[in-house]
Amino acid sequence: MSSVIMEPHKDLVCLGAGFMSGLVAAEVARDSHNYQVVAITKGPWWDYVSDFSTTKYDEWGVGLGRKYDSPLPVQSTTIRNSPTQFALPVRRYTMPIQYHALGHGVGGAAQHYGGTMGRQGPWGYQQKTLTDTNYPGKLTNIQSNNDLQDWPLDYAGYEPYYHKWELVYGLCGTNNGSPNDTSSDLNYPWMDSSYGSKYPMPPHPLTQVAQQFQSACLATPPPQGAKFTSYHPFPHVSSLASQPYTNVPYGVPVNPCVYDGYCGGNCNYACETGAKANAAYRTIPAAMATGNFKLVTNAYIFRLVWDATSHTVTEAHYYDAQGNVHIQPGTVFFNGMWGYNMIRIMLLSGVGVPYVFNSGPPQSGSGSVGRGLTNGYAPYTGTSVTGTLNLGANSYSAGNASGGSVDIYDLMDDNFDHTNLNFIGGAQIGLGGYAGGGPGNITLAGGVSPSNTGVGGTFKAKQKDRYLPTTTGVGATPFAPDIPTYDHYVDLDPHYTDIYGDPLSRLTYDWTDNMYNGATYLATVVAAILTKMGASNVKVATTPPKVHNDWWGHHLRGGCRIGKDPASSVFNSWNQHWLVGSPSTIGTNYFAAGEITNTAGDTVPSGTHVAGPQSWRAAEGIKQYLMSPGLLTP
Amino acid sequence: MSKTTRREFLKIGLAAAGGALAASGVEIPLFSAKDSSMQTQLNSANTQLINLQNQLKTVTGFLTLNVKEQALLEPIVETIIPSDSSGPGAKEAGVIYFIDRQLAGDYGQSANMFMDGPFAIPSSSPIVAPGIPTSKAYLALYPSAPTSMTYSGTVVPRVGSGINYQYPLNLRAFWKSGLEAVQNYAKSSTYGATFQKLSADKQLALLLDLWAGKPASFADDFGNIIRPVDFAYELSFMTWAGFTMDPLYGGNQNMVGWQYMGFNGVNLGNAYGEGLSQKDLMIATTPTRLKPASLAQYQQAANGGA
Repeated sequence: MSSVIMEPHKDLVCLGAGFMSGLVAAEVARDSHNYQVVAITKGPWWDYVSDFSTTKYDEWGVGLGRKYDSPLPVQSTTIRNSPTQFALPVRRYTMPIQYHALGHGVGGAAQHYGGTMGRQGPWGYQQKTLTDTNYPGKLTNIQSNNDLQDWPLDYAGYEPYYHKWELVYGLCGTNNGSPNDTSSDLNYPWMDSSYGSKYPMPPHPLTQVAQQFQSACLATPPPQGAKFTSYHPFPHVSSLASQPYTNVPYGVPVNPCVYDGYCGGNCNYACETGAKANAAYRTIPAAMATGNFKLVTNAYIFRLVWDATSHTVTEAHYYDAQGNVHIQPGTVFFNGMWGYNMIRIMLLSGVGVPYVFNSGPPQSGSGSVGRGLTNGYAPYTGTSVTGTLNLGANSYSAGNASGGSVDIYDLMDDNFDHTNLNFIGGAQIGLGGYAGGGPGNITLAGGVSPSNTGVGGTFKAKQKDRYLPTTTGVGATPFAPDIPTYDHYVDLDPHYTDIYGDPLSRLTYDWTDNMYNGATYLATVVAAILTKMGASNVKVATTPPKVHNDWWGHHLRGGCRIGKDPASSVFNSWNQHWLVGSPSTIGTNYFAAGEITNTAGDTVPSGTHVAGPQSWRAAEGIKQYLMSPGLLTP
Repeated sequence: MSKTTRREFLKIGLAAAGGALAASGVEIPLFSAKDSSMQTQLNSANTQLINLQNQLKTVTGFLTLNVKEQALLEPIVETIIPSDSSGPGAKEAGVIYFIDRQLAGDYGQSANMFMDGPFAIPSSSPIVAPGIPTSKAYLALYPSAPTSMTYSGTVVPRVGSGINYQYPLNLRAFWKSGLEAVQNYAKSSTYGATFQKLSADKQLALLLDLWAGKPASFADDFGNIIRPVDFAYELSFMTWAGFTMDPLYGGNQNMVGWQYMGFNGVNLGNAYGEGLSQKDLMIATTPTRLKPASLAQYQQAANGGA
């Protein structure tokens, strides 16, 4: 029979062992007070040398079998488009690319991510205020159900954390990659050296198609309303080491990328050299080196114990592989779980007030846990731009971050006038790694469907020598900006449960009007750049009508926001849980950070990097709390 | 086979060898310069050929597809990826063995799928789910919740998405029903013969029918109905997977799928001493066709310290 095991008390209990927990664990364990820290994760420890070096080159096992990702029979999620629909459970992993694969084990989803790590600029943090100021009435006009909020801090408040995060995880890139950058032109002042920030490593080499994209950007006049005179193409900011590196300040050695192409992007391969930034190879080793840190693997956290008298989380309960229940008491709890699991454990445990949708704008007391679910990506199968380029080169199956690509940020944020446009925000646009994915993904790109059946000699002929193109298709999918709406949220599913009998999370979400409108506009702008590249047959795909979809290509965000106001957010600026309805002098000991926390609407498709500075700030907040418990001063 | 010369026979044997044999199959020096007589060389070649044939016999059987399914699935996959003037197809790649292995293993058992109820099959008409019971765990958390719930609204997931397959059948059972349903449709008045006996045009038309949602009643031998498009997806997806995945899975034999696509497999630039790095390939300005290498070859080279 299984038994109940009481674990020794810890100063800090980290839920999960990915990007966010890894950083918080390392920071707190390294503190001079010798705080005792434990991180608990549902999966195993992955060692890149022994686990990935010979068996990762396996598209079927990685791409469909998801052999390094979370098993669906243990826990899935249900999804739907609107609050009146029945939500269907995600029953299987599919190919080509889909994003319902949660990470599994130390490092979490960083095993399979692409490594995109560009920062979110100032607009992203204050888009509600800036939009209302610059375009009065616009938000209501374009998205009447919007639930947009500002972040609690502005970009300057997060900038120092960005810088530290980039040194620890090891980013490569340049803030000044454009040949004709001048100080008088828009050059992302929020990224340049005036803040003292430099990426620790130089950018990756460029593919041929990226170089052509770069030249074309420089030669293409910007659209009407642009606040710049020419585009500023620069190498993709990546979390894959471009050279041997020792991270700062932890001193963990990092191997460089070998450009084998079996990387993130469409196939979601793990990294066999450890070049792709991941807690397991950047921060967890630093935590371990202190002697103050314990790592618990194969442990499924199913409850937090919330004490209503002291307004604190007192215990985390988890199952071990033998079915024993472990009770882990702690002074502070940090939730670094991925995505909707962070919300699910709060809802299961009664930590905070669940968001309840009542067919209209949130009323007073309608709760905030689960509110404001958004998506980092535009309709992947929706608006896109394609063309044919007279270009001979090797296809390169990795994603853009693993080398070779060029981005422009000029069409992000409010870098162009939105007065006459029916959306806010914009997108990062990049090109470089092309004909992406393994042969299965590339063949089935877009998915076999009634309009692309994959049957017969005509389809087959199109696959011949697709990896050795003398003319190649190029395309860009504008990742248009999502904004939170009050009918998009996370709650518990009333019908489906996990393997232990607890309700699954239920996601209610659909593409917003802002995304469709933004993508439609941006597609025409991208088409002009592709045409300048010399591409022929440039086509803008029509935006499909809204149908029940699985948000193909989604990267969910929001749903558990940090904010300025306890009534409409879950966490304060320190990522510390507000005490709703309690004396405000008492603070909870519950902190969290992750893609799911942040108020969304940002347009960099790298939620991890946007969440990274939050986790650093949470670590500072936790250290303050350990010295002097209570609600931290915002 | 009996009409072929010994040397032609040798080539055929090698070409048909399973993917796992590809490395030895193409690398064996059949006529070594050290051999003094033609007879010695022929003896040596014969021995190697017999060994290869014996190995081939051990990897080209079936684990789960029954005799009817074997006979039906073969022309189906060969219709999806025909062997034609553009190059080898599903037949040469051994796609049917890939599918058999998958259906016999975790894939067929739906081992990594979420298979708990309740089940609601997507359709183009609204799912007006009457009284779906609320879980005990949910009621424990929210005691005032109703004990069952009703919904409205159309639910039509994208074919091939993770929420599309909602059958309470594992994939092996689904394929059994699906293959029976294909044969029943072929024998119906629309086509009038077993799938195997239909002309190539009719075979192609039938598979496209499935994609178009036809026939309206797509049923197995016991009248169980599935959506034609769901099985059409499975057929196209698994056939192309069998053509493009690593030979270790039983398809893509001799890496013919990769060669057809110009994919280098796990040849990262120097598998056969080409002297290239993957970075060279990444920034190259002209396409570089390399002889593909399989995962097994890569591992053998890695284990050998190459």
